Amino acid sequence: MGFLRLLSRIWDAITSLTRPPNAATLFRRADLYRQEGRFEEAAELVAQGLRLAPSNGVGHLLSAYLHLAFRQIGPAKSELQFVLQADPYHPRALLGLAKIALEERDLAACRPFLDKALQYYPDFPEARALQEMVAGWATTVAAPGQSPAYTGPPLQVERLKPPAGGREFVLAQTDGTLVFSQQGDKDAEDLAAHVTQVYRIASATLQRAGLGALRRGIVQAATETSFFRSNDRLILALSFPQDIKIGFGLLETDKLWTNSLRELGVRP
Amino acid sequence: MSAESIVPGRAARAREFRRILAEMLKIDRVRGGLVVAADGLVIAASLPRGIAVEPLAALAATLGRELEVGADRLKRTPFHAALFSADNGTVFLGSSPVGFVVVLGDREVNVGLVQWALRKALATLEGAWGTASHVPATPEDM
Repeated sequence: MGFLRLLSRIWDAITSLTRPPNAATLFRRADLYRQEGRFEEAAELVAQGLRLAPSNGVGHLLSAYLHLAFRQIGPAKSELQFVLQADPYHPRALLGLAKIALEERDLAACRPFLDKALQYYPDFPEARALQEMVAGWATTVAAPGQSPAYTGPPLQVERLKPPAGGREFVLAQTDGTLVFSQQGDKDAEDLAAHVTQVYRIASATLQRAGLGALRRGIVQAATETSFFRSNDRLILALSFPQDIKIGFGLLETDKLWTNSLRELGVRP
Repeated sequence: MSAESIVPGRAARAREFRRILAEMLKIDRVRGGLVVAADGLVIAASLPRGIAVEPLAALAATLGRELEVGADRLKRTPFHAALFSADNGTVFLGSSPVGFVVVLGDREVNVGLVQWALRKALATLEGAWGTASHVPATPEDM
């Protein structure tokens, strides 16, 4: 009997080399590739696996992750919703949808996903970090036309003295209320919403890294460089053309920050 | 045609991520760093004791995505690098096709040097992905 069992094992080993892999094997290999940042190969394997097992939850979850990695939000959302249809408390699918809701600035949708993910898995660190971050947000960043109105002293641009080369100067409260902007209303609200969201998430990231509260930021893009200045109440953002010297941008932002605080009667 | 033959060097990507991170960690006053995909998956990480990887990666990926999505909403060009400073240090964030490179520096970190090293690292990552960008020869040229 021992000899026959040995022959059987050898036969299994040989046939496993020539047999096409099953869906589980493909998904396992796809996940390994994904963890190495080899997203294209992982996506090919997931597609192959889902052709063999179209309803496989692991496959759809991997597909969602890969869509997110490729910044394809619509397809990622569909895949995560598919996973939740089979398992309404799947923590990773809930976290994925919470992240998408955050990107869409839909805090009302984001919070329940995080709460649900943590209901059965309270030690889920990523979901806990995001929940703690959004818990401190008094309200969602308002939709255009619905921003809370600023009720403080009016600011005069000639007293703030924004630099000649600067553009898109915006001053907002940390709750998203627009205090002052050089732009028209609609653009100013969109800009203030983005600046507020960056402030909130950057603050949470710095706190999580044990570095303290956000004071300054620089965001470099192909055509402009934006400078941020903030304290616990106010956020200032100012952009310059991309070729600005960083030192000059910091200096001008600091001057504008000082002028803004003085005009608002806030002690630096 | 196999996936491997379309873009050379994919198999070496994981090694490249770890090498890039190791190079960043050699810079004086850099305390740690990580490479995180846009979905929050940690691809490589080295953080000081006491800082949990997954929560920081989740927040850093969320920040990176807000910078990407916000630029798109405002019809701006995509961001390629950012830094955010607090009283006790700075978080540097670089965008690449694979996701985000995150570097943590203490309050004495040489910001210009890290920015330049990050630009070099991002160019390497883009090269591994099939697109490459120009990097100034020295930090002073930035």
